[in-house]
Amino acid sequence: MALVVGAPSALAQGSESVEGQTYVIGTDTTFAPFEFRQNGELTGIDMDLLRAIAEDQGFEVEIRSLGFNAALAALSSNQVDGVIAGMSITDERKEIYDFSEPYFESGVQMAVAANNDEITSYEDLKGKTVVAKTGAEGETYAKSIAEEYGFQVKSLDQSATMYESVKAGSAVAVFDDYPVLAYGIAQGNGLKTVTDKVPGGSYGFAVNKGENTALLAAFNDGLAELKASGEYQQILDSYLADPTAAQPSNFFDLLVKSMPALMTGLWHTLLVTAISFAIAMALGLIFGFMKISGNIVLRGIATTFVNIFRGTPLLLWAFMFYFGLPQLTGWEISVWTAGVLTLSLNAGAYVAEIVRGGIQSVDPGQLEASRSLGLGYGKSMQKVVIPQAFKMMTPSLINQLIISLKDSSLLLAIGFTELLYQGQQIYAANFRVTETLLIVGIIYFIAIMALTKLANYADRRFNK
Amino acid sequence: MSTSTVQSDNVKIQVKDLHKSFGSNNVLKGIDMDVREGEVVCVIGPSGSGKSTLLRCLNKLEDITSGKVVVDGFDVTDPKVDINEVRRHVGMVFQHFNLFPHMSVEENIMLAPVELKKMGKAEARERALELLERVGLREKANARPASLSGGQKQRVAIARALAMAPGIMLFDEATSALDPEMVGEVLQVIKELADTGMTMVLVTHEMGFAREVADRVVFMADGVVCEQGEPEQLFGNPQQARTQDFLSKVL
Ligand SMILES: Nc1ncnc2c1ncn2[C@@H]1O[C@H](COP(=O)(O)OP(=O)(O)OP(=O)(O)O)[C@@H](O)[C@H]1O
Ligand SMILES: [Mg+2]
Repeated sequence: MALVVGAPSALAQGSESVEGQTYVIGTDTTFAPFEFRQNGELTGIDMDLLRAIAEDQGFEVEIRSLGFNAALAALSSNQVDGVIAGMSITDERKEIYDFSEPYFESGVQMAVAANNDEITSYEDLKGKTVVAKTGAEGETYAKSIAEEYGFQVKSLDQSATMYESVKAGSAVAVFDDYPVLAYGIAQGNGLKTVTDKVPGGSYGFAVNKGENTALLAAFNDGLAELKASGEYQQILDSYLADPTAAQPSNFFDLLVKSMPALMTGLWHTLLVTAISFAIAMALGLIFGFMKISGNIVLRGIATTFVNIFRGTPLLLWAFMFYFGLPQLTGWEISVWTAGVLTLSLNAGAYVAEIVRGGIQSVDPGQLEASRSLGLGYGKSMQKVVIPQAFKMMTPSLINQLIISLKDSSLLLAIGFTELLYQGQQIYAANFRVTETLLIVGIIYFIAIMALTKLANYADRRFNK
Repeated sequence: MSTSTVQSDNVKIQVKDLHKSFGSNNVLKGIDMDVREGEVVCVIGPSGSGKSTLLRCLNKLEDITSGKVVVDGFDVTDPKVDINEVRRHVGMVFQHFNLFPHMSVEENIMLAPVELKKMGKAEARERALELLERVGLREKANARPASLSGGQKQRVAIARALAMAPGIMLFDEATSALDPEMVGEVLQVIKELADTGMTMVLVTHEMGFAREVADRVVFMADGVVCEQGEPEQLFGNPQQARTQDFLSKVL
């Protein structure tokens, strides 16, 4: 059954042939080496296998990079036909999904810094600290042997940061999924494995229970073909064994290859900042004027607004708008909406204070002189007070704009695809944390310098 | 000696039992004062006696606590009066000039006529230049206030106050913020204005000037009019002990 975006597609089943069909397949966003983006393209073991199988079996795939949990949710609601996401086959999952034959045998392995010759076995870990990924098999395994060998386990939540901490020496070894580790080493992350892999879960391709049986059968057939032809091993080797895999090898290559994704990130950063700041200016003007109003109710409302958003962390509001609000209201809130709400309300509170301060810093004699000429309050504010207040406010407003731009990086926590988020995605795939962060930092710096210059130019131009 | 020549019996400003308090601070405690058309009245008195407050009540820059103030036929104390309309008939000059720093000299003067649609831009500019000519600053039309000396600023402020062609001018210590060498040029402009028959109320510390230019001098103390009269009489032969005391300190 051919698929249209969003259409339920569970009709492709039974004995129908998969030939010529298009299936929508959900996957994770970044789980190197199984799926990750390289130069904006989705790649990885899962992706290569799936495409090779599709070709072998004569069907088409449309891949949706949704995130692990979202992909499973989409499968349950028939928005995708299948999910391939480095997913372990477990008994619980078998209750709701039908799995293909395992296409990958995973397991946990230990690695140390490449130049470390002291640690060659678990026995050498006595009194030392190791890192493992929060909630992952590596952590479970490390903790299960920690007492026996007398070492400490520290949990971190990203492979890239775990590897960095081993290289930096804050931990002597890392316990991680063997393919992730092997891929990292192949990418030159500066580690080496010193123990054998501990057999663990096996990964499978999943469809809804009892549905898409033709697709599942085709996957199994294709997988068997690839294994027989040796292509399967080739795909695995290209990610896990070959240390010269198609990855940037020097800093300049990394720069060139990561630039498209980073530029997208920069664009999103600038856009979300611009939209949010425009709204913040409007909010700030309204609440700033309310703060100097003679009406105690208006003043109270404005003061409450300012105090709430200045007195609480930005990140809290990002989570609140993105995760909390949809649950409270049932509305669907996009990450853009949540991001703009968060940044504009936060900046709005600060702009309100800047506006209040700016207006109050204008000599009251100015308003009196204007009123004594017979100009009304509104006209006097518009022609005499606000232009002067604005001039005094400009440096603070530029400052706030820059703060908002930098604050927008916090939105990565809700998956907003801004600049730093893109950087994280890149080093999650290539493990070159420091260099990637350096590039991201330079881009922020240049963008902010350019923005400052532009704002100062505009200031000189319009506030002579 | 009074130099003002154009006077009539038309009352331009009428103040009756004016009271003004700031919270519990009673600043004006029942002022009665009439100013006739063309009359020049100087208000003198010790610091804190309420001179500025009285002046600011005349165009309602301060809310009036009680009493009656009628200016140019408008009852200022009537809540229904269009105060902006009244203010167009009353020019005010402040101690600290209060020029608009973000506008050129000529824009300062043109603001009210243009914004209040009294005249078009071109006409307003022409009028501004005329007024600047009158205060001797035509060549400063395009300058920014910040580039002017104190005396020049105050002359521009006077030109600005005249832009709506008011029938009454109020001056609140127009020369107090000036360096001594600049006082003369401003007083000269005010004197010329007095000579044209403008109705004026001046709060001033310049006793010599008051004596020269005023038709009548009002001495205020503690929120009341303590004594008033023609300059010769008030300065030459003050009746009240407080007046004598004050004059002995300032003269
Ligand atoms: N806006 C205000 N709020 C509270 N009190 C005020 C205000 N304006 C003036 N006052 C008080 O009113 C009294 C009279 O002030 P005013 O400025 O009228 O005196 P003045 O005669 O002009 O004095 P000076 O010669 O120093 O200018 C003073 O005690 C002053 O503190
Ligand atoms: Mg005063």
